[in-house]
Amino acid sequence: MKRKTDFLPYALISPLIIFIVLLALTPAVFTTIAAFFKVQPLNPPTHFSGLENFRDILHNTNVISSLGNTFYYIIIGVTLSTVLGIYFAVILQRRFTGRSILIAVLILPWALPGVVEGILWTGIWDANTGVLNSILKSLHLITHYQVFLGQNKLITILAIEVVQVWQITPLSTILVLAVLQNIPDDLYEAATIDGSDGRKAFRHITLPLIRPGIAIAVVQAIIATLNIFDQPYILNGAASTGNSLAMETYAVSFQNLNFGQGYALSLLITLFTLFVSVVVAKFIYKKVEY
Amino acid sequence: MKQSKKGFRRFGIGFILSWSLVPIYWVINTSFQTDAQISDTPAHLFPPTPGWANYKALLIGDGELPSMVRRATINIFIECISATIITVVLASLAAYAFARMEFKGRKFFLFVVVMTMAFPTYTTLIPMYRIMAMVHLVNTYLGIILCYVSGFLPLATWILFSYMQSLPLAIEEAGSVDGASRMQIFRLIVLPLTMPAIASTAVITFLFAWAQFIFPLVLASDQSTQPLTVIVAAIQGRHVVPYSLLSTAGVIALSVPAVIALLTNRFIVSGLINGSVK
Repeated sequence: MKRKTDFLPYALISPLIIFIVLLALTPAVFTTIAAFFKVQPLNPPTHFSGLENFRDILHNTNVISSLGNTFYYIIIGVTLSTVLGIYFAVILQRRFTGRSILIAVLILPWALPGVVEGILWTGIWDANTGVLNSILKSLHLITHYQVFLGQNKLITILAIEVVQVWQITPLSTILVLAVLQNIPDDLYEAATIDGSDGRKAFRHITLPLIRPGIAIAVVQAIIATLNIFDQPYILNGAASTGNSLAMETYAVSFQNLNFGQGYALSLLITLFTLFVSVVVAKFIYKKVEY
Repeated sequence: MKQSKKGFRRFGIGFILSWSLVPIYWVINTSFQTDAQISDTPAHLFPPTPGWANYKALLIGDGELPSMVRRATINIFIECISATIITVVLASLAAYAFARMEFKGRKFFLFVVVMTMAFPTYTTLIPMYRIMAMVHLVNTYLGIILCYVSGFLPLATWILFSYMQSLPLAIEEAGSVDGASRMQIFRLIVLPLTMPAIASTAVITFLFAWAQFIFPLVLASDQSTQPLTVIVAAIQGRHVVPYSLLSTAGVIALSVPAVIALLTNRFIVSGLINGSVK
């Protein structure tokens, strides 16, 4: 007995769909189309310009250097957050007293705004008041205070990325832990009978089985590091050393007021993000059977 | 062997604790010091003369700085609370339809929801600004709130959908035998059972909204609607503001999410797992 069209489900999802269409899909389509137009509010008129924005973007030395920098942010951030995430998850794998408090403390950095984290870590990296300089000097490892941010490119990027790793590692840990807790204990018992030690059990049992968790953790880390903005904005301000792609997109659009180029750059990064996420997920993610 | 395992865990626990807490402790520590004390070598592990001077300078009085910080604190609460309420209400309605009703296009619409979750910030930032400018919503609470809701709604729907789907059908069927309408079943049976997931969604949405920076930076050029994060960054951008005040502003901005995270970590963890496993 089939009823006529049931309107209730459509009524229930309509607010969601309206939001998605107006404020996610429309902007996405807008970006895609406007990337092929010259859009400069201070230099009208807007007109079709083909691939000119893309050409200009790829000849912009700031964009190219920020591309290289972002590559470093991704490599450092994904590696550190994944390794730490797996390590933390293994520590939290079994129940022990105080475990739930430890989890609460662990997720604390995830909950804080990137801007505030930038301020926090200024207190550590800063050349005049940073505690790291004070510690290194007390240990006689340096004779005078060092500048960590804004001089050497790689050190700057490393220092900034550590701040982001601090923020995203909790999520990596949780994602790996969720998978880790599903591994049946008897697998480990069998391994103990076989005489393998902890390290072997980790390599041959844990690591292969937590691949799906690692895959999701890696994808979220790639997306986060590719979008890094708040931390360098606060820690490094106007200095162009270690500029990220997101900062460059912001600068092109809202400082140079060249929206067309901003759209072109956004479009390239969006496509790149989706591509990398899918490839990585496919590559690491394999269905696991116990 | 047993001993080394214990040592491994003990070291790990110490590592996690110091990794998470030392930077937070340090900013709290400096917020209770004067600038001269912050510059001392070696650094003070505890504030030598703890007092509320920095907090008073930022929060109390008629100066430009305190009125900015107070305004921004009110703004961030208005924006985060409104965005959270709207997101949770709309997401639970949609999730109910997706989890419990059959309708044409259900799969397609679910796919659209998941797809928008994967959109990076980039895709929407500039056109979002242009759209908001077109409809005169730049520098309004409504503009920022709508932007947040659109950003968080797909994830919220997904978390609630996967939770509702895992609920047993038997109770609802009993309800429909009793002649309750679908919306009555939603209100009286599904909603109460979904409370843990609703709590997760609300907490995660609130924390995400509190952490926003680049969107309100673009959508609010005027102090009347700028949230605390934007004001903290603005204070930092002025080189005349000393680190003592800056760290204090940081502590003010982190206190709310830190307390929420500590109190509701169970909901956060289950929500994050529900929202990501796909």
